[in-house]
Amino acid sequence: MQLVLIGMNHKTAPLEIRERLQLSSGDVERALPELMRLTEIREAICLSTCNRVEVISRVTDGEQAVAGLKSFIYGQGNLDIAELERCLYVYRDLEAVRHLFRVTSSLDSMVMGEPQILGQMKEAYRTAVDQRTTGVLLNRLSHHAFLVAKRVRTETGIAGNAVSVSYAAVELAKKIFGNLKGKSVLLIGAGEMSELAARHLLRQGVGRILIANRTYVRAEEMAALLQGTPVAFDRFPEVLPEVDIVIASTGAPGYILTKDMVATALRRKRDRQLFLIDIAVPRDIDPAAGEIENVYLYNIDHLQDVVDANREVRKTEATKAEEIIAEEVTAFEKWFNTLAVVPTIVALRGKMEGIVRGEMERSTRWLGGLETEERLRIEGLAASIVNKILHDPITGLKEESREKDELPYVAAVRRLFKL
Amino acid sequence: MMGIVLFKVALVVYLASAVVYGGSLWGRRVMPARFATGLMFAALVIHTASFLSRWLAEGMIPAISLYDVLSFFAWVMAASYLLMQLRTKTRVLGAFVAPVISVIMVIASVELGGRVGASAILKGYLVTAHVMLSITGEALFAVASCAGIMYLLQDNLIRQKKEGSLIRLFPSLRDLDRINYLCLFWGFPLLTLGILAGSFWARIVWGSHWQWDSKQVWTLLAWGLYAFLLHQRIVIGWQGRKAARWSLMVFTALAVLLIVGKLFFQTAHDFM
Repeated sequence: MQLVLIGMNHKTAPLEIRERLQLSSGDVERALPELMRLTEIREAICLSTCNRVEVISRVTDGEQAVAGLKSFIYGQGNLDIAELERCLYVYRDLEAVRHLFRVTSSLDSMVMGEPQILGQMKEAYRTAVDQRTTGVLLNRLSHHAFLVAKRVRTETGIAGNAVSVSYAAVELAKKIFGNLKGKSVLLIGAGEMSELAARHLLRQGVGRILIANRTYVRAEEMAALLQGTPVAFDRFPEVLPEVDIVIASTGAPGYILTKDMVATALRRKRDRQLFLIDIAVPRDIDPAAGEIENVYLYNIDHLQDVVDANREVRKTEATKAEEIIAEEVTAFEKWFNTLAVVPTIVALRGKMEGIVRGEMERSTRWLGGLETEERLRIEGLAASIVNKILHDPITGLKEESREKDELPYVAAVRRLFKL
Repeated sequence: MMGIVLFKVALVVYLASAVVYGGSLWGRRVMPARFATGLMFAALVIHTASFLSRWLAEGMIPAISLYDVLSFFAWVMAASYLLMQLRTKTRVLGAFVAPVISVIMVIASVELGGRVGASAILKGYLVTAHVMLSITGEALFAVASCAGIMYLLQDNLIRQKKEGSLIRLFPSLRDLDRINYLCLFWGFPLLTLGILAGSFWARIVWGSHWQWDSKQVWTLLAWGLYAFLLHQRIVIGWQGRKAARWSLMVFTALAVLLIVGKLFFQTAHDFM
């Protein structure tokens, strides 16, 4: 297999280098034809995201191609070669296939299981197709990679659960309220964390956001950002009965939301569920409030536990995913081997036909005396003898390529017939 | 005969669906539950065919023998549960509903050889209406209880903050509460109509609406409790844990009283 994958990712290269090498989609469009001008390169796809740059290509000569690809990458970023050399990895043939499958299935991502990478890979493939830089091998490889990603996603729980605190809070809210459409949220304290959580909630269709902050101006600012309503800080207990979710994140030293406040609010809410999220340290909400019926209280540690547990789940799911990938690499190899045997068969046939043609020409003198019809018959006879002789070896070669990983017959045939 | 064969096939498919639902809980995956929902639907279709073929064979709606009544109870549970799946995706709830259906079907199959011909007094549209309506109401209450149990479990899980994967697998509190409410909302008027039909029939054959029969007393008591619960839900705004607990308690009381009543008291309903 003449496959070379060269690249760098968030594990091998620091951000300063990645950001200088990152190519926009327009850059990729320009880079592809440039790559194809390298004589050893037959097909190429270029994937560039904020966490990785990868070039995968079918080449005629591995060593020369790697050198060419490296100098191409050096040319992109104007970077120190020695430094770059340390960041780059090169995979060949099946290793390249495995790496590509892992990347597309999001096993190689910073946040394992994140869904964006598949879309980015599809985009990279589409660009390459548009630029006509893909052929039989990379087309097949790309489609196979998409298939693997889908298998990993559906057969393992790798993408199943939240791995950030704010997203874990949203998932819990969904388990309480079902649908978040039309629900109201109260932010007590306008910090970065609460803003992030609020944005997640907004994306889920939350209807109204109220913001109470000790500095009213800050509440107004954030209200403008989130299209919410600012509330005076000392008035927040009054709006409590109107909301379904509370996110508390003030810097107050003691509890600012007491059990009594929550109980009163719940009576006025007619016992509808209330989800309290306390991401402040020290805590803002009296833990006793969580004992009230239909009130669910999570603090930052609880959410962190959820996230940690989810990370563990993803790790165990990742081993399952690696097994799937190993399986699929073997499947791809089988397909590729059937491809590898084709040139040998073509060459073998070509050689035999060449011999027949040569012998016929050498015998033109006495063949010339024959009728055209008779000459054609002799040619037919020779061709059919060649076919009969080649039939079993060729069937054997084809069968071998389907069944075995290594191809001793191919090597033997090439040596015996000097192909 | 055809009806019996179809009934047995339906029983097997219900059991299979219960097992696959169990697998969903055990493996903590939603996928098997989807498959199990499909199985339950298949079972329901077969069950319906069995019901219709018995109807055609007997020339009347089969609603007299204990077998018929239990089979119909299971049918209503499956149909109402699947109907609710159209609106709320609470797939894993089936893991609680399917086993109940299966158990009822198994008991029904034991009763298969039991008395079929009922006395002449129990034939007529009012009796059929009485049985069908009451059973539908009670089957809906059974589904409400399943949703109630699951609500209480999910509520506990969310409070204990430990079993993240189970929380994720179980339906949301709101959906479970909604199913509980809808089952009460539709079950109650149906049971009411069923009781009324029965009392009209009693008036015709026994001369009085009310016999102080043990089953009548218990059912009326449960009816009163359900009326109270529905009132609290609609007017006072009860929901969540309290509503789930109540519907569970009332249903348990109803079931226990009916069984105890059947075992220890003489009843005009002794044919079932």
